[in-house]
Amino acid sequence: MLISLKDINKTYNNGQPLHVLKGIDLSIDKGEFVSIMGASGSGKSTLLNILGILDNYDSGEYHLDGVLIKDLSEKQAAEYRNRMIGFIFQSFNLIGFKTAAENVELPLYYQGVPRKKRQALAMEYLEKMGLGPWATHFPNEMSGGQKQRVAIARALITRPSIILADEPTGALDSKTSVEVMQLLKQLNKEEGITIIVVTHEGGVANETDKIIHIRDGVIGQIEENRQHTAWSGPQVK
Amino acid sequence: MRMDKDTFREILDSILRNRSRSLLTGFGVFWGVFMLMLLIGGGQGLKQLLQNNFEGFAQNTCIVFAGNTSKPFKGFKKGRRWSLTYDDVDRLRNIVPELETITPSVSLWGRSVTRDEYTYGKAVVKGIRADYRNIEAPKLMYGRFLNDADDLQERKVCVIGKGVYASLFPEGGDPCGKPLRIDGSYYTVVGVDWKEGGGIQINGNASDQVIIPIRQACRAYNLGNVIHMLCFTAKEGVTMSDITPRVREVISRAHYIDPTDEQAMFLLNTQLMFGLVDNLFRGVNFLVWLIGLGTLLAGAIGVSNIMMVSVRERTTEIGIRRAIGATPRMILGQIISESIVLTLAAGLLGIVVSVGILAMVELAMTQDGILKAAFQVPFGAAVAAALLLTVLGVLAGLAPSLRAMGIKPVDAMRDE
Repeated sequence: MLISLKDINKTYNNGQPLHVLKGIDLSIDKGEFVSIMGASGSGKSTLLNILGILDNYDSGEYHLDGVLIKDLSEKQAAEYRNRMIGFIFQSFNLIGFKTAAENVELPLYYQGVPRKKRQALAMEYLEKMGLGPWATHFPNEMSGGQKQRVAIARALITRPSIILADEPTGALDSKTSVEVMQLLKQLNKEEGITIIVVTHEGGVANETDKIIHIRDGVIGQIEENRQHTAWSGPQVK
Repeated sequence: MRMDKDTFREILDSILRNRSRSLLTGFGVFWGVFMLMLLIGGGQGLKQLLQNNFEGFAQNTCIVFAGNTSKPFKGFKKGRRWSLTYDDVDRLRNIVPELETITPSVSLWGRSVTRDEYTYGKAVVKGIRADYRNIEAPKLMYGRFLNDADDLQERKVCVIGKGVYASLFPEGGDPCGKPLRIDGSYYTVVGVDWKEGGGIQINGNASDQVIIPIRQACRAYNLGNVIHMLCFTAKEGVTMSDITPRVREVISRAHYIDPTDEQAMFLLNTQLMFGLVDNLFRGVNFLVWLIGLGTLLAGAIGVSNIMMVSVRERTTEIGIRRAIGATPRMILGQIISESIVLTLAAGLLGIVVSVGILAMVELAMTQDGILKAAFQVPFGAAVAAALLLTVLGVLAGLAPSLRAMGIKPVDAMRDE
């Protein structure tokens, strides 16, 4: 079991206490391609933050790759994030004054990998994303789809246990969305990388093998979706 | 945090690729250092310019000359004329042991000096002893100064000032050994004193002077035992003001003058004057440092302020860095390092530019290849400024980096 959540509770205390996650139990295996679906306010972002070690939880247990993730110091959390998790954000979150290659190699910089090796690896991953010629371009010179692929390369470069994608197609047009989802799918199939996509779009969720519905802070239905037939609305295709 | 080439490159990238932000940040410090250095250099140069006026003049000198009495004393009426005499030299030597050099001089104004067809009409003929050089150091261009033998043997030799030389020897060259006629007697030139007439002029402008041995002067001008002026310096560590009353007393007693009669005997203590100038420049220096450091501090606060804004602006960037594995410490290190590098680079640029401008000022102040006053900032001050900058850089970066450290990775996602 790569990820196992046991009775995770989380309450925000901003004035009015807000019980966001009310006992989440969830396990995700290695190599799965999962989506977490829910309306806004359902707690899916909070769950993603906890999965990504970006936020603490109040009670319960979260094991990631056999390590108990609980009450970590900032330093430890940073290290685990760096080594075990690759993030893909809705707004790409590339650093504007760094080139594509420099953005990709940044996680390795924080690991203390020598510059030469970093650069070689970054090029390798960019080429894998089909962005070899764009390595020295800055993010504002690239299209949304290209930017997201740079972000994916950055997420992959540390060979993390899981990729967490927060609305990865949210800022993309439908054609590019398809490309990005295909890319994720391909990474999952060919390299066996565990990917968790958080989305509120049925079409996006339909591309994954398993859909976890979250509603009002609890896990609702878990749909097996090997055939990608769960969604009958407009397809991302 | 490691501080290797890689880290440094990361910091440099952040600074260089956000040019306008960096320029804005650095300008305050640049200006502060620039002003500080310029003020220090300028203040020092002005001080030297002023001191040039006293150049070669012993700073612990006292000059005595006779005036008319203003009080009746021992049966003498007031308004009596009197003169210092050669005996006063020995008298002071015996009674006031704290005195170092005691030297008499006579001076005769508006004398004409002639060489062949050239005449200089407003020369000041000054009879002195060789030890007068301890009072007013000559700046010899040619030849030598008078020596004791000249005086003892009453040689007819002279040292001439720059102005006299220029008028009598318009063709230039070494005038030594050439004869001059002064009031009917011939003297051989042995030296040329190049000293400019500065702010302190004893018996006329130095460039108008023709200096001859005092015994010869007394004989040639029938002065007998009379001397016009007595100059003396105090020994090392003696304050002149402490001994001037005794000098006054000794001379007054010998010449039957009321010791309280200030007008009968003029005592000019240069130490007081130099003290005044020293105090003035101490004040100027204080102001220079106050203003300079103030400007520098304002610059550093400016850096801190802009860094603060920039940290807020960079929330996303810092959040991303945190999300992909930067520890808070690394962020702290980065922001502080950026601050140090920025302040140091801007500050060093300020030092270089101000040194350049001061060098140009020095160039403008140079005449005949001789520098009138050194306006340049001392090397030590520049090094101290650079060190100070580093400290300021750390301090300026402290608050912004602490804020940056507080940025959570989730902020990166929220800040959209």
